[in-house]
Amino acid sequence: MSEMKAHSIDISAMQRSQQTLRIENETPCLTVNNLELFYGEKQALNGIDMIIPEKKVTAFIGPSGCGKSTLLRCFNRMNDLVDTCRITGEINLHDTNIYAKGTEVAELRRRVGMVFQKPNPFPKSIYENVAYGLRIQGINKKRIIDETVEWALRSAALWDEVKDRLHESALGMSGGQQQRLVIARTVAVKPEVLLLDEPASALDPISTLKIEELIHELKEEFTIAIVTHNMQQAARVSDYTAFMYMGDLIEFGDTNTLFTNPSKQQTEDYITGRYG
Amino acid sequence: MKELMTHHISQQFNTELEDLRQHYLTMGGVVEKQVSDAIEALLNSNSDLAEAVQEQDATVNKLDELIDEECTRILAKRQPAASDLRMILSISKAVSELERMGDEAKKIGKLTQSLIEEGESPRGYVEINRIGTMVSRMIHDALDATARLDIDLAIKVAKQDRVVDMEYKTALRSLATYMMEDPRSITRVLNVIWVLRSLERIGDYARHLCQHLIYMVKGVDVRHVPAQEIQQEIE
Repeated sequence: MSEMKAHSIDISAMQRSQQTLRIENETPCLTVNNLELFYGEKQALNGIDMIIPEKKVTAFIGPSGCGKSTLLRCFNRMNDLVDTCRITGEINLHDTNIYAKGTEVAELRRRVGMVFQKPNPFPKSIYENVAYGLRIQGINKKRIIDETVEWALRSAALWDEVKDRLHESALGMSGGQQQRLVIARTVAVKPEVLLLDEPASALDPISTLKIEELIHELKEEFTIAIVTHNMQQAARVSDYTAFMYMGDLIEFGDTNTLFTNPSKQQTEDYITGRYG
Repeated sequence: MKELMTHHISQQFNTELEDLRQHYLTMGGVVEKQVSDAIEALLNSNSDLAEAVQEQDATVNKLDELIDEECTRILAKRQPAASDLRMILSISKAVSELERMGDEAKKIGKLTQSLIEEGESPRGYVEINRIGTMVSRMIHDALDATARLDIDLAIKVAKQDRVVDMEYKTALRSLATYMMEDPRSITRVLNVIWVLRSLERIGDYARHLCQHLIYMVKGVDVRHVPAQEIQQEIE
């Protein structure tokens, strides 16, 4: 009888849980078409074509200066702030080209939020940090703000730690808490995309794991693009990984395959820590 | 392809991987010798050599443990990826295959001693000689393919296993006929059959070594792919 039982194991369920993701099956959230970017004379991105799939985590890896942060900053037009920067090609957020004339950049940055390497909370209370984005949108109803602050802090896995001291200064929090607060502040305005630029590289290992866990939860609701120097982190948190080198997108594919059997030698050399 | 193991920025990591590979090949050499000694002891009725083959098993077991520990340590410390990861996983599995080969060689050593005690009778020895030579060659080639990361040779060895299987079946048939003709020989012929059975298993393990090598180099799992379809699977 025990043998009979062994036969009834559901192998197909196991297979489903390990199924490789395929980019063709994803809904594109951001679509990048032949994107070129120049800082003055120097070309920093060489004709990038890719999609950022919706409600998935896409990680960008590559050596310093490969263009991964530059590309990430293109997604909410942060590069507009650099005077010498010139961009050709297009990036579509769903169906709208974000580089088209007349794009409301402030509105774009609400839809595409960003979190940086160093936590940058405002010198205000925890509550006011999260409420800030709502207030500048002109939302003043206390009930709505209260609800949103709680929701955002819960989404950032911070609520239980701070619910009794919402009106204390955010600067008194630990680095890891501050970074989760910044994430809460970003999600409070209900963006579609979260851009994370090295979100855990200034944090200790435990705080890093909390951020990683948070990323895993946030992808239920948001499309996430993350730049990280920590390859294991990319391997742990992402569904898709893009490897960039000297302004080129060398390889882009599902994370499981890229980290076990990459198709390009350059990717292989980078992820195994060899000389390029 | 030799660069598979080298050129890491961490010299320490290079050394660890190179050591691991060397230890694996050393263990392979020990087992290869153990198997050929077992066959030689049997064919020449050399009881001392048969004894030595059995004692060698302790060394092989120890190597199995040591190399597997080495794999665990590298995994924990280096978080290897891609070809490095595949190399460590496949070596970890391959040493288990080598250890099982060692067990089979030990069995042959034991059977040899019983056969010697029962007295001379070369019935079945022609088959043992033929299959034994083939299987020894397979181990040698499998290790050679591993040392040179030679996939073509690995596929050749995997295909060779089918020939061994056929030879084994043919030998069984003729020995069964012999036992029917002369029931007094049954005990003795059964011992010969056990030897053949062990050799056939060793052939299977040599094929497994090649399958692990193909995974290590190509990243394709061919453990359950028939030998003649491996080439296609890789492409």
